[in-house]
Amino acid sequence: MRRSRRWFGWVGILAAGVGCGGGAKPPAGFRVALITPGSIADAAWNAGAYAGLQWIKDSLGVEVSHQEARTPGAQEEALRTYAAQGYDLVFGHGFEFQQPAERVTGEHPKTVIVVTSGERVQGNVAPLVFRIEEGTFLAGMMAGALSKTGKIGFVGGIELPPIKKGYEGWVNGARRMNPSIDSKVAYLNTFDDASAGREAALAMIRLGVDMFHHNADEAAKGLFQAAKESPNVFVFGANADQSELAPDRVYGSAIIDLPRAFLAVAREVKGGTFVPKVESFGLAGGVIRYVSNPRVAVAPDLEAKVTAARDSIVAGTLLPVPPS
Amino acid sequence: MDPIVGFLAAAIRIGTPLAWAALGEVVAERAGVINLSVEGAMLAGALGGALGAVATGDPWLGVVIGALAGAAISAAFALVAIWGRTDQIIAGTAVTLASVGLTGLIYRQAAAGSTTGLDVQTLEPVAIPGLSAIPVVGPALFDQPVLTYLVMAAAPLVWWLLFRTTWGLRLRAGGESAEAARAAGVDVRLTQTVAVVIGGVLAGVAGATLVLAQVGSFAERMTAGRGFIAIAIVVLGRWHPLGVMVAAGAFGAATALQFAFQALGLEVPYQFFLMLPYLLALVALTGVVGRVRAPAGLGRRLEPADGG
Repeated sequence: MRRSRRWFGWVGILAAGVGCGGGAKPPAGFRVALITPGSIADAAWNAGAYAGLQWIKDSLGVEVSHQEARTPGAQEEALRTYAAQGYDLVFGHGFEFQQPAERVTGEHPKTVIVVTSGERVQGNVAPLVFRIEEGTFLAGMMAGALSKTGKIGFVGGIELPPIKKGYEGWVNGARRMNPSIDSKVAYLNTFDDASAGREAALAMIRLGVDMFHHNADEAAKGLFQAAKESPNVFVFGANADQSELAPDRVYGSAIIDLPRAFLAVAREVKGGTFVPKVESFGLAGGVIRYVSNPRVAVAPDLEAKVTAARDSIVAGTLLPVPPS
Repeated sequence: MDPIVGFLAAAIRIGTPLAWAALGEVVAERAGVINLSVEGAMLAGALGGALGAVATGDPWLGVVIGALAGAAISAAFALVAIWGRTDQIIAGTAVTLASVGLTGLIYRQAAAGSTTGLDVQTLEPVAIPGLSAIPVVGPALFDQPVLTYLVMAAAPLVWWLLFRTTWGLRLRAGGESAEAARAAGVDVRLTQTVAVVIGGVLAGVAGATLVLAQVGSFAERMTAGRGFIAIAIVVLGRWHPLGVMVAAGAFGAATALQFAFQALGLEVPYQFFLMLPYLLALVALTGVVGRVRAPAGLGRRLEPADGG
């Protein structure tokens, strides 16, 4: 037994060494942190935020840090830790950071906390609002016009308000092209379970759905797989250009150019011109876009209708989701 | 497609990885070890399966590498829990958490710079001639990936090993009373280690099934608690290999029902259906379906004298 005890001791020393590795840096100039609610390898929501952080680092030459925090407790703790360390700007990447950010800003009023897809301003907390419904509306128009069965489907991770709003834009867009479209929706209760994403999609495909959209991050990988396995089923990507996930089964993607929005905010905060307010991004500034997949062609008159709708949304004459 | 056939096929698909993992957990628990590292072993099996299939270009070699990755994780658990004589619950939880971190780290290195993650060739469903022509049951049960048929064959094999061989008798003796087994000349620590590693191999195959027979890609934490569900399935299946197969099917059916109801747009909160399988497990534990008895020595830390 003696030998194995000593062995465990070494493991403990090693673990302690790894734990200390990152700490004890003196506070320097302007510092920016990002907290994501999921993996930055999701090729969408979190990956875009991380790309934004890297862009800030390269463009502004500032120090950056990233953490992943999945539970409400861990998210609040991560916010508090960055604020306590004197970070100038912290991005809480998702609606779920709104309430923790409001609690933390009272204790650390100097740090600007930006909540992506947040709700309201309080103290130095400012939300970035993405009008993703403007992009999903255009994707929905495509789906409504292209569906042969008249049935479209949406797979969501968790029914958060921004996700629900994106879904409403998608349905309204489809109804604009085909008023009798039948829309189906399923929530997975997870953003990780790709197998569940596939089963949710297959259950809808059995009922005749042939056009899909999603907002399920990693779990959507299963949705793309289901489309690849099933004849004549297509997907519209979400949050990033996802054409590569199923090159001949993606007509296009409703994207959020997160890096562009992140850099714009970081510039303001660094330049001292930042005033906490609702920063809203839509099709107008190019942060929200619909990008088509050049490998899957659609009729030019459909492209023209979508472009016309885009111009109407930018001009404010077309509301993707009318206020209820 | 007939909706009933579609539903049954989905139940079998969803039940397959659960059955692999639960079958492995039966072996470990019969030997007296409650192995919570099964979730971690499954996740390692998923990543090992994906990387193995990409590296070799052969999904079957991916399954083998996934099984080995699962075995490695469970061996780490066995080292700490059985040979280090630590608490099994704590050791299993720690190993699972370590596996979540490790698989994420390795995956990010492997998929760095890619916009698509790992793109893995999947094992197509293979229809069994004759059997798949049976109405309703045929296309649901006998038009599945080969990994589904293999788990159906593995269950009776595990039953035979546990209940009809001397090795199985010694293994179960250690799970009931380590002192008595040791008095009879059984090396309890060794049999428990072998049982846990077998469990890890099967959990690894369970994870590989998710990637290679279903998703065709890896996602971090994609097992999403299936390892813990497998532990509940062992209870529901009353620590019996064949009971576990039925229980895994029941969990698969409850989950498939949940997706079918959402797709149909029924106005019942989906969380209600997510809850159903766990209600089943609770009912099983309360003894409504007959007396349930876990192996008497389950989860007990071995005294220094036990293992010799």
